[in-house]
Amino acid sequence: MLNYLLMCRSLTYAQRASRTLEHAGITATITKAPKSATGVGCGYCVKVSEKKLAPAIAALNKAGLGPARIFMLSENGFVSEVEL
Amino acid sequence: MIYLDSAATSLQKPQSVSQSVSRAIKTLASPGRGCYRPAMQAADCVLDCRMALASYFGVDEPENVIFTFNATHALNIAINSLVSFGDRVVISGYEHNSVLRPLYAAGADICIVRTPLFQPETMLESFERELRWAKCAVCTHVSNVFGYVLPIRKIASLCRERGVPLIIDASQSAGVLPIDNSVLGAAFIAMPGHKGLLGPQGTGVLLCNHETRPLMHGGTGSNSSEVLMPDYLPERLEAGTHNVAGIAGLYQGLKFIASKDRHCIADHERRLKDALASQLSGIDGLRVFSTNVPSLQTGVLSVLHESIGADELAEQLGKRGICVRAGLHCSPLAHETCGTAEEGTLRFSFSPFNTLREVHMAGEAMKKIINNIAK
Repeated sequence: MLNYLLMCRSLTYAQRASRTLEHAGITATITKAPKSATGVGCGYCVKVSEKKLAPAIAALNKAGLGPARIFMLSENGFVSEVEL
Repeated sequence: MIYLDSAATSLQKPQSVSQSVSRAIKTLASPGRGCYRPAMQAADCVLDCRMALASYFGVDEPENVIFTFNATHALNIAINSLVSFGDRVVISGYEHNSVLRPLYAAGADICIVRTPLFQPETMLESFERELRWAKCAVCTHVSNVFGYVLPIRKIASLCRERGVPLIIDASQSAGVLPIDNSVLGAAFIAMPGHKGLLGPQGTGVLLCNHETRPLMHGGTGSNSSEVLMPDYLPERLEAGTHNVAGIAGLYQGLKFIASKDRHCIADHERRLKDALASQLSGIDGLRVFSTNVPSLQTGVLSVLHESIGADELAEQLGKRGICVRAGLHCSPLAHETCGTAEEGTLRFSFSPFNTLREVHMAGEAMKKIINNIAK
């Protein structure tokens, strides 16, 4: 199953994004951003399922918390950036 | 023991504050140091408090609420963000050393607006005159010595009209008087967590509405490969480990304050101040710094005896279990403005937990002490 990592510019934003998604009925987990893919040390993401990606982005944009970058996380753990 | 030194720090606090601090010490780690449970619970605790403060003080985004270690720390960040060497800074004649010393250290050209106690119109006229050439202004909301409520709304309005960024020192007003930065539009508002907000010592808050310059540099748990502090709040101004237990307690203090009617704490403390002022006003040789206009003074009362030193009175009261503060209260400027710099004053300051009975006992003790010494 594919998941997506919505990269936030800080932990505070990731927390707010996670809470916004929960309020919208979307399961979201805060995770550290993998440095190998993002190039950022100690970044934070919220992880959502492929099915919920579009409504999640819509909910975050509406709340002014749109993700800075988006990464696809495959079942085998491979991470690749998705064009916004 | 009767504690009447809440302008220095709150001693009596809601039980939920100490319970929350104790729980935090046992269960919470550090935000931004991992995604494991105690770290994320700590992050949740910090964000909850940040959001509650933003909502309570009219701040748009919780990111603009910065946790500091006290109001002095918050004021230093604000002054460091706005003031460079030689900048003209207008301040009131009631500022604390937490404003004065950072401004002197920065090499600011300080313009002091010295106006008498309880005369807000005179102060406004002086501020209006002096703001013309100012780079920024710093003004306390309430004098920590005299409880004088400065006309901060109007000063903020003058600053907005002239495009002068304003730093408000809300050390004596946060949690006591309404503060809404969506109305005031101040560049920064600094406050302690341990006074009117009833949190633990070691907590402070800076509300930001302006570009910032970090005072401290260090780990933030984010963007670690960058050599400079992040360019976004709150991380930009929060280097190092948070006082998570303190913030957990502060959150409970804020919830207690927010559960009350906006005016009830100030009204209660003013009633106590008025009662003590009335009780002391008949004592020979004692000058009582009080006004009958409620909007001009909070629950802080200074007195000065013509022949008995403030320190002597405080010591005698202390022996009777009554805790008050004497001297300059770290505000020599306020004393210079009011002509009390030589001796300082004896200060009584009240909290939501003080009672009229306690105040009456303090007043009686004052009468006895002065009579005994005068004999």
